Amino acid sequence: MRLNRLDLIRYGRFDGAQIMLPEPATGQPDVTVIYGPNESGKSTAFNGLLELLFGMKAGAHPYAYKFERNDLLVGAELNIPGRGATVLRRNGKRTQSLLDYQGRPVEDAILSSALHGLRLDDYVERFSLNDKGLREGGERIAGAKGDLGQLLHAGVSGLTNMATTLEAMTARSDLFHKKGGRNTALKSGKERLKEIGDVLKTARLTPERERNLRTDRDAARKVFEEADAELSRARKRQAAGAAAQTWYDRSEEIRKIDETLAGFPKGPDLKKGTVGHVATFVTTISEKAESIAEADGRVARSEKVIAENEADPVAAELAAEITKLEQTRVEEASLISRADTARSDLEKRTGERDEIARQIKQIQATLQVPDVPVTSLVLTSEELETFGNAAQACQTTERELKAALDVVKTAREQLGDAPAKPQDLSQLQVAFDAWQAVADVSGPEQALERENARLVKVVSGLPASWQKLVENGLPARETLDDVLREWNTLTSNLDAATEDFEARDTSYKVARAKREADEGEPTSIDAAATEETRRLRDAAWHSHRGTLSAETADFFEEAMRADDGAHTNYLMGTEARKQIANSRTLEATARAARDAAKDKLDRLTESRDDLSKRIASITTALGQSPDVGPEAFAGRRSALSTAAEIAADVAVAEDALEKHSRHRKAALEGLSAAAQLVDIKGDEGNLPARVGKALALQDSVRDVWEKWRRGEQTITEHEKAVSQAEDEKKVAFARLETLTAALPLPDCSAAGIKTALPHLRTLQQLHREHENLARRVDALERAVATLARSVLRLAELLEEPFAPKDDPLPIIDRARLRVSNAENADRLRKREEDLLVEENQSRIRAIGARDETQDKLEKLFEGQGGEDLPPTERAARLAERDELRQEHDNSDKRRTEARNGVDRTLFDEELAHLPDATREAETQQELDDAQTARDAARDAAVEKERLYREAYNAADNSELVTEQATVFEELRGGARQAAVARLGVLAARGALRRLATERRSTMLKDVEEAFVTMTSNEWEKVVVWTENQGEKLVGIKPGGDPVPVENMSTGTMGQLYFALRLAGYRSFARDPGPLPMILDDILETFDDARASAALNLCAEIGRSGQAIIFTHHAHLVELARKSIPGVSIVKMPD
Amino acid sequence: MRLLVSADIHLGSPIRSAAMRNPELGDRLKQASRDAFIRIVDLAISEDVDALVLAGDIFDNDQPDLKTRAFLISQLAEAADADIPTLLIRGNHDALLDHRAHGDLGPNIHLLHKDAPSVEIAGVWFHGLSFDTAHVLRSFLPDYPGPVPGQKNVGLIHTSLDGAPGHDPYAPCSEQDLMAHGYDLWCLGHIHAPFERSSGPVLAVMPGIPQPRHFGERTGGTVAIVELGDGTPEIERHQVGRLRFKNCSLDLTDCSDVQETLRTLRAKLEVMRDPEHDTAVRLLVTTGHHTADMLAALTNEVLENIDRVFVDKIKVTAPKQQLDSKTDDLVRLMREELSEPGFQHAGKQVLEDLRGVLPRAISDELSEDVLDDLLEEAINEVTLSLHAGAAE
Repeated sequence: MRLNRLDLIRYGRFDGAQIMLPEPATGQPDVTVIYGPNESGKSTAFNGLLELLFGMKAGAHPYAYKFERNDLLVGAELNIPGRGATVLRRNGKRTQSLLDYQGRPVEDAILSSALHGLRLDDYVERFSLNDKGLREGGERIAGAKGDLGQLLHAGVSGLTNMATTLEAMTARSDLFHKKGGRNTALKSGKERLKEIGDVLKTARLTPERERNLRTDRDAARKVFEEADAELSRARKRQAAGAAAQTWYDRSEEIRKIDETLAGFPKGPDLKKGTVGHVATFVTTISEKAESIAEADGRVARSEKVIAENEADPVAAELAAEITKLEQTRVEEASLISRADTARSDLEKRTGERDEIARQIKQIQATLQVPDVPVTSLVLTSEELETFGNAAQACQTTERELKAALDVVKTAREQLGDAPAKPQDLSQLQVAFDAWQAVADVSGPEQALERENARLVKVVSGLPASWQKLVENGLPARETLDDVLREWNTLTSNLDAATEDFEARDTSYKVARAKREADEGEPTSIDAAATEETRRLRDAAWHSHRGTLSAETADFFEEAMRADDGAHTNYLMGTEARKQIANSRTLEATARAARDAAKDKLDRLTESRDDLSKRIASITTALGQSPDVGPEAFAGRRSALSTAAEIAADVAVAEDALEKHSRHRKAALEGLSAAAQLVDIKGDEGNLPARVGKALALQDSVRDVWEKWRRGEQTITEHEKAVSQAEDEKKVAFARLETLTAALPLPDCSAAGIKTALPHLRTLQQLHREHENLARRVDALERAVATLARSVLRLAELLEEPFAPKDDPLPIIDRARLRVSNAENADRLRKREEDLLVEENQSRIRAIGARDETQDKLEKLFEGQGGEDLPPTERAARLAERDELRQEHDNSDKRRTEARNGVDRTLFDEELAHLPDATREAETQQELDDAQTARDAARDAAVEKERLYREAYNAADNSELVTEQATVFEELRGGARQAAVARLGVLAARGALRRLATERRSTMLKDVEEAFVTMTSNEWEKVVVWTENQGEKLVGIKPGGDPVPVENMSTGTMGQLYFALRLAGYRSFARDPGPLPMILDDILETFDDARASAALNLCAEIGRSGQAIIFTHHAHLVELARKSIPGVSIVKMPD
Repeated sequence: MRLLVSADIHLGSPIRSAAMRNPELGDRLKQASRDAFIRIVDLAISEDVDALVLAGDIFDNDQPDLKTRAFLISQLAEAADADIPTLLIRGNHDALLDHRAHGDLGPNIHLLHKDAPSVEIAGVWFHGLSFDTAHVLRSFLPDYPGPVPGQKNVGLIHTSLDGAPGHDPYAPCSEQDLMAHGYDLWCLGHIHAPFERSSGPVLAVMPGIPQPRHFGERTGGTVAIVELGDGTPEIERHQVGRLRFKNCSLDLTDCSDVQETLRTLRAKLEVMRDPEHDTAVRLLVTTGHHTADMLAALTNEVLENIDRVFVDKIKVTAPKQQLDSKTDDLVRLMREELSEPGFQHAGKQVLEDLRGVLPRAISDELSEDVLDDLLEEAINEVTLSLHAGAAE
């Protein structure tokens, strides 16, 4: 397949762009250098080609920024073997995205067949190479350590990571298991499984184990229950002893209390809290007496204070006058606080007001309007700004109009008169372009020659009738493979069957001979056992014969001997029949086996004959001699197929040449007709030149005319600007006139207004200040009058002299003092009056409370003795008596409770022991012994219960069982992965050996040539060494020194990689066929010598197929021009 | 009469999946079979059924572990306390149900066997026979009692009905013979996938394993509630399993960048999520760009934000086109190599070496029968590693 043209119709930044890749002249390599600076779209173009060939990327598209994804469209003209030049397009749709030149959907099979079934990734890996890939490829193939198979595979596939891949797979497998490996997953897993297994085995709760544990537990529980009962008995004994002791001690206490109570006053028990109440009542009576005396003193003092503070009769009026003065305010301050400065302030403000009035008059004079009311000249700030803007607008529009008029005038002077108008030669131009596109016929002619040359070369080893053979139809490749495989299998099976038959036949013959021998001479039986039996019988017979009569014994012996003979004969006959039957069975089995082997042999022979007939027909179909075997079929078929494809390419080239000639003739006729319309005549020899000259002249005329027309358009634009400036000026002047209509100024022009504006702004400010001062003077005058009136009234009330010129403040201060004194006396008197009322009430209450408490105290002692004692002592004595009575009752209650809380029999027994100093220690010892025994039994029972429970709970190993299952699953998966990895490595290494064998003859020579060329003869050749591990590629220096690949420098390794890729390309180009190879700036890190060598290799690619080189280096373009004969240089489209 | 029918509970049997390495899932499901049985008893009580029927393989193995047996008895006692009697038979795994060796199960729990094959509850006759040894290759059906005339008859049988594939051929009997025996309902055990058969008014129901345990059991997780009235018994199934196993096929052929791969993985795994269940997923991925290790890392990243979905295994296959021997010399030559007798011998040796060191319980994973499958995987592995490695 060849790329003739790439159409970037709507793709990335491109819109209708084309990249032409012209076919080379005959004998020249097919190399196109596409040159463009960085960011010129080379990557876009490469991607466009890939998406045309393999479909557009799914999802968001990186090149859908100018056009929507669905509108993306790329196309190309491709030379497809068997179809010729074919125009295809690819849009962004998910289905049916491949279109023909008319936009109709076509099958992707057209391309996938032309691409030999390669996927996008495969194509990129095999048929593209950039600088990074070249560098890294060189580094990566070092990992192959010279392995021939791996290196050739890298060349064929472009995949350079074979060594690391196989190492990684081996490592993965070894991670799972490796002989002697210490930390493998398998080892860890097995160890864990063993641990889990041990735990599970130990923890399993079998019925026997459960029974043993349960028996132990129940026995321990019983022992515990008995010990516990004993402890309980000991505790009861001890409790009874303690109760008896309590009874004994309390009885003694009761006797002593009764003796003491005889010396206390008689009477009932005091009520609860009586002692406290007596103390409280005595205290209360004393306190109330003190309160009454204190109240009498306070009443006398209050009455004295009231008499000393009587009311002032003028204080209220003085206070009212002072309040009035304080509430009067001047300029945000109290009038009183400014009383001494009010008059001088008034004089100052009056002077300022008059000065501003004078300045206003002066401005009016400047504006030449002395008599108009000043308010008619006072404007707001907004009005002043509006006037200023209007005046400025008048002046600006006037200036702009003048400038626009100047521009028009200058442009008119520079343009001059109109030149001659050009003639319409577009039809002639179209015809001339069409002619130029097809004028050169050398391309198709050279292509035809090239294809013919290829055809001659290919058919050189084929029979003359090869075309007939192809037309008759070649057997399918799969058929040939099947026939070869079948032939090999059949041959092998036939050999095995023949061998088998011969062995079976021999076995049969042996069996038959044995049967015949057995039938001819029956085998005697083994009579040893019979003889031994008879010997024993005869011994017994001889020892007992004497017990019989001689006649009887003889008769019996004779009969016995006769029976012996008959029996022996019978046994021999039976054995002989068995042996013969056995021999017959063996013979029949051997015969059947032989017959089966014969049948199989016959069938295989028949199959071989059938296959031989098929082979003969294939031999005929492939035009081969009858003595060649099926091994030769594939090669012949491939040659015939290649010849057929090239023949198809020849036909395509012929068709292209014929089509080109037709187009050329039609283009010449079209050009002649178009030329005649403008009076140009001529033949094929001179007409195109004349037309070209006329078109060039016409281009010059058109340029002059276009320039004058653009000048004329510019002047028209300027005139429009003049008209617009005039309109704007009129509007500005009209606005100013409207605004100043009511202003009483003598000059209301724009200049007059701009002159008056500063004065009007000053006037506005002075007028505002004058108004403020006038208001302040008025307020001060009113305040001074108010002050004089109020102070005069204060003086009258104080009965003091006062004249208007006097200082008012001393009068005000004295009035304030008088008012203050009166207010203090009022407050003091009032407070004492309130206290007097309260004290009288308090005194009356204290007397009542004292009398009431005395009554209560007397009631508390009703019915009691001890009247001669003070109340407090009397209450204490009675309370002491009551406590003794309570102790008596408590002791009695406790001894009864002690006796009732224990076993009565045991109590009586223990009471009988008292008093006894050692009895308590004895019972305690009994209790301690029982407690110790019970605790030991309890611990034993708890332990047995714990063991039982523990065994039960330990049996719940679901977590371990789950882990065990999980480990098994992991090992299962790991084992499978390890096996897959090992088998994969095994298969890959075998495949690489096969690849080395298969490709060495075709690729090694190409590798060597390319490598030597690439390194500028720094290396002489490459050879293959056979070692234990396989075959290694070795470079040979000019002096004969061998250097294994892994010892080469990184740069040399990169060159070797390039050589391998070239050889791989050639190999692919030979079979299944050439595809475009894209080389993207691979030379940018090379010096000129190496770049030139690399370009030579690109030319080699171009000799096998098509090489497309993208570069942004101008010097590489020149180098390519020098190094590659007939190279096409194409610039990236704009 | 309403019956809750279950079988093949396999108490004590663990979940077998690498997904259980996830601590969250492993902790939650370490007693999966017991939890499932608790839910069965709870369901029987909440649905107020008249009897609980267990058709064999209540336990998983014949190792007597009384803890598990005690668990069973406590659960069945709970059902009995709610007036729900239990009828059960022994399957081929049920030595722990041997009442002679391990004592009675308790009141209102009826173990049917050859000495006591029938029992009547509320006018319905239940018939069943138990396995006495693990391996029974003959049919039990001829030994089942005939139906009690004029009464409803229910049979419990543990059988590989018609020799169900994938299950040991224990006590096989034909479906035709079973349906013709004269009972109204057959409660089946042994085949873990749920199904039902009917013939006229007779129904046979396989309730399915209540808690599937591995990827071979991708159906089940159910019990059946059967309404036994006039006409054919009616059946409704209820989910009781917590974990389900799902295969998830995913084509990442067109996903070349990681973000796109993550998006596709997330979308697919989101679909796998079921709020009511944990789901162990086996990812079957087709891609030419990512290795299994890479995909495992990406999948774990995605699953951090998807509840209750866990990965069991990731199997990666190269696109079919990539394995096409016509375009890939290496694939072609590997295939040629595989057909060599010498290579076959070496391959068998690889498997034998590994089998020799594997625990016996799993050594059949690498039997010679699977060599061809492994070789296909091997070609796939080489191709994938090679192309994915080249893209990195």
